[in-house]
Amino acid sequence: MELIYEGKAKYVFQDDEAANRVIIEFKDMVTAGNGARKEDFPGKGNLTCDMSEYLLGFLEGKGIDTHFIRRLKGPQLLCKKVGIFPLEVVCRNRAAGSFCKRYGVKKGTEFENPLVEFFVKNDQLQDPLISEGAAIRVGLATRQQIQFLRSVTLTVNYYLSELLKQQELILVDFKLEFGQTEEGYIIVADEISSDTMRVWDAKSESMDKDVFRENKGNLIEAYTAFLNTIRKAKPELIEPRTEIIQVIVEPKSGIKNPPGEVTKKALNRLGFGDIEDVRMGKIFNILLRRPITSEVLEQLKIMNVKVLSNPISERSKVRFE
Amino acid sequence: MSIAVLRFPGTNNENDVVRALSLINGADPYVVPSRKGVAGLGKASGIVIPGGYSYGDYLRAGAVASVDPISEVVRDISEDGYPVLGICNGFQILTEMGILPGVLLPNKSAKFVCKWVHIHVSDHATMFTEGLEGGLLRLPIAHIEGNYYCTEDEWTALNDEVRIPFRYCDDVGEITEEANPNGSVYNIAGITNQKGNVLGLMPHPERACRQVLGSVDGLKILENFVRAVKC
Repeated sequence: MELIYEGKAKYVFQDDEAANRVIIEFKDMVTAGNGARKEDFPGKGNLTCDMSEYLLGFLEGKGIDTHFIRRLKGPQLLCKKVGIFPLEVVCRNRAAGSFCKRYGVKKGTEFENPLVEFFVKNDQLQDPLISEGAAIRVGLATRQQIQFLRSVTLTVNYYLSELLKQQELILVDFKLEFGQTEEGYIIVADEISSDTMRVWDAKSESMDKDVFRENKGNLIEAYTAFLNTIRKAKPELIEPRTEIIQVIVEPKSGIKNPPGEVTKKALNRLGFGDIEDVRMGKIFNILLRRPITSEVLEQLKIMNVKVLSNPISERSKVRFE
Repeated sequence: MSIAVLRFPGTNNENDVVRALSLINGADPYVVPSRKGVAGLGKASGIVIPGGYSYGDYLRAGAVASVDPISEVVRDISEDGYPVLGICNGFQILTEMGILPGVLLPNKSAKFVCKWVHIHVSDHATMFTEGLEGGLLRLPIAHIEGNYYCTEDEWTALNDEVRIPFRYCDDVGEITEEANPNGSVYNIAGITNQKGNVLGLMPHPERACRQVLGSVDGLKILENFVRAVKC
């Protein structure tokens, strides 16, 4: 097998049997502070591989696209080959880690709504936080891709949080990486394990890499306890999350829009003289009882052209949270 | 000859069309509710899609009806070369289906327009205008989305292929801006498909078939349609 990438915690090999598949091997190595501290914990690779197998499989079962295909022997997963997005997406339900340091917020502060943050995947720059506007301008992702990454991350957050809640665990935050398949579909890649998320038990004890970061106990014991706990969960009891897609249809520029013109006249008559132009369109709020995937977006394009808008006179935009 | 007159939920001109067609010798018109699907069409060798507000004209005029299963059959029938006449909402449905090019936008005035208008008939012969070439007709219109619009390329094709048999004009046949009741490009009131067997028409010929109603000009168009169905 040809090694095509080596990260801090994983090797990626080319699968000899299929060009569009890779084998990901989890290392026993644990690092912190962007690799400033590192230590080997025999058996850790197998544990994070078990967790990723379980959690990626769980998300797939809920309709989220991931790169996971199946478990291989040892700490290895067979996965779809993807081009990894140069962005790491972090979702936070409570303040912890770098967020507390950055803003001087008390650890554990609960957020009313989950926060999604983007970081540049670049060791030399030490993976800096990046605003959505900057990510678009630097060319790391398009506006639509950012919107999509955010939506999938929030969906993953919902399902992971619900799964952990069943076992009285709290999902504090987690990091996702995304990859693009040959067809251009964006899917969840990398791993989901105690190495990439913070999980607290009912007594706010960590069951994740913070055990190592903060030197507070036995890492292998904490990881094993977490794995055994989530394996007892019942994914089928989780209510499906409803996603809302908003389709905005507006008259193309250059197309006469009499309803808008009449509205403008009425507004002018009321004394709002500064109104230069009014164009009237429509908004469709579409509720979907499944996660938004690249395939759903493809279908939406067809819906848009076939029914929701008339491409001769209208153009449409798709928005979702 | 069997002529199917389609009725979608919200269609309201189907009986007027059936009555008008019944005035013509040899025509055998019958109403086909869209829910009956293909079976309801029977052995129709011509189809009229009458006016009204199919499916409430929600979304856009004619948009929902354009994806009704029966509309797919209309597409097949039109491709087979049988005469298809879309009047008002029927015209809107045909453009939404893409059988006819372009789209009918809200009237320039943004108001519902209901009045008698004059229509200039092109010199070029079509199956719907036999004996009317170059003439002047008086027909009523009643619509809020009759503002015909199409892309530059479609417009060029319509013009080059002489597929614009009907245009709004004044009472002496002059095609003027003032005689345009809704803002349609080139004063377009009706167009045909490439084969010439599908006509979309904003004015209502079925409402101009008896002298007592003020005009019988519409009857001439319907007679041509029936003759085409017979061929």
